[in-house]
Amino acid sequence: MTPKKRALLCLTGNKWKADRVSAFDPLTTATVEQMEIVKAPFPDAHRSPKLMAKLAAAAWEIVGLEGFKVPFDLCVQAEALGAEIHYGALDIHPSVRKPAFKELEDFKIPEKILEKGRFPVVEGSVKILREKYGDYLPICRQVVGPFTIAGHVFGVEKFCAWIKRKDPEDLLDVLLQLADLNVEEARAALQMGADVICIADPTASSDILSPQTFKELLVPAYQRITSKVGAPVVLHICGNATSYLPYLPDTGIDAFSCDAQVDIAFAKQVLGNRVAVWGNVPTVKVLLQGTPEDVKRACIECICKGTDGLIPSCGIPPRTPIENFRMLPQVASCMVYV
Amino acid sequence: MESSKNKEEVFERLKQAIIEGDEVEAVKWAEEAVKRGIDAYEAISKGCLEGMNVVGDKYARREYFIPEVVLAAQAMNMAVEVLKPHVKMEKGPSGVVVIGTVQGDVHDIGKNIVKIMLEAAGFKVIDLGRDVPLKDFVETAKQQNADIIAMSALMTTTMPGMGKVVKMLEEDENLRRRVKVMIGGAPTSEEYARRIGADAWGKDAVAAVELAKKFMQEKHV
Repeated sequence: MTPKKRALLCLTGNKWKADRVSAFDPLTTATVEQMEIVKAPFPDAHRSPKLMAKLAAAAWEIVGLEGFKVPFDLCVQAEALGAEIHYGALDIHPSVRKPAFKELEDFKIPEKILEKGRFPVVEGSVKILREKYGDYLPICRQVVGPFTIAGHVFGVEKFCAWIKRKDPEDLLDVLLQLADLNVEEARAALQMGADVICIADPTASSDILSPQTFKELLVPAYQRITSKVGAPVVLHICGNATSYLPYLPDTGIDAFSCDAQVDIAFAKQVLGNRVAVWGNVPTVKVLLQGTPEDVKRACIECICKGTDGLIPSCGIPPRTPIENFRMLPQVASCMVYV
Repeated sequence: MESSKNKEEVFERLKQAIIEGDEVEAVKWAEEAVKRGIDAYEAISKGCLEGMNVVGDKYARREYFIPEVVLAAQAMNMAVEVLKPHVKMEKGPSGVVVIGTVQGDVHDIGKNIVKIMLEAAGFKVIDLGRDVPLKDFVETAKQQNADIIAMSALMTTTMPGMGKVVKMLEEDENLRRRVKVMIGGAPTSEEYARRIGADAWGKDAVAAVELAKKFMQEKHV
């Protein structure tokens, strides 16, 4: 079975039709050690299709993860919408310096947005990966979810205050427009050869929003994306998303990637066969600060709890040692269903 | 008797306004406190901060979420703006603090509360804002002759920036001896502070003020 077929089966809730769980990481895979080995460091790797593809490929070539994911940062959409970006450093991810819009009424998606900012870089890197690796390994194109983009282009606090002060219809309208942007970029990436779309919406965390707000503002936005994309969709939300679990089947996603605070066994119980659950080897306590032995133990625990894909609980911290990260594909490949 | 009841009422109203995130009421009762000649520091700590503590508890219980917290913080800021000019300073500022949220991190509600409390306690606070380039902490501390650098990070991806600031500071031995470093923020801990070489870790705004005061006492011994 090819890693691509295995990943697609595990993402769509057909784990038992695969030979084992997948170790295809649809979250950020780049670490400083990989950057040094393949000579594709941050921040340059954010801005060149060639370097981006090279660093994404290191996930497979060096760590052994069963596929690729691009881009590495969360600012592509906000940048194309006009926010000011700081590109960070070797071990610091890019971030938004200055929002793009002051008021909700100022919001406008520019025409031909996919030609702006770093969209061409990302799509270019997908093309390179597809050409080089053929159909053997899956490629994940990350789209930053509507709520996180809104936080970037208006300011998180401002947008949060609007949830209490403005007409929800107006906010939903903006979030749906951002969802449409996600659809547009996802389709472009799929044409270039991507297989899977991962919606990364860290700001939609349940540490920030109530389950009620999630249901009213975000479920419709994710529905918009999943109904139009035409490829498997993974959703990643940071923090303890346990209170969101009952609403996830309504979003139409294929798989949910959960952070370390979520109990996979519980998530599996709530979601049953409706949504696959991927996760959640703790990034900081285990992958960054632990030993390979600790990682192995955490991996086995995730598998015992029924995870459908063995991946870190969140984007990998850039200083994570390769020997720790490597344990994920190693443990996954040792584990064969009996 | 009469006057203490009077005071209690203002504190209570101020507290409620902040819990409800009501800017208009918060400003109204802050002005009322000034008009009635109530001690402004007391109004900040017993009205505003108490209110914000309740908000923090409600957030911890998942009764409140960030939208409610943001409104409460805005109401508190407005009330503090009214009260701050009336805080009685016994002597000059008790110390200079450079504060900011490290590069890559845009979450700064916690940092703002620490800043308000430090100011209310008589410190001169230079606020670098959020998403602060790491070298700015050290450069500003040098230029402004600061006593303390206070940093916060709310994401595990930005946390390592704090360790780098300590390292940059250590490049200049004299500066390191003069400037104390304290850190805070959800993913940080006492142990993490020790590991990166910071001098202290503050659990919340009140702890941060206590630490800052302690640093200044040690300095003047």
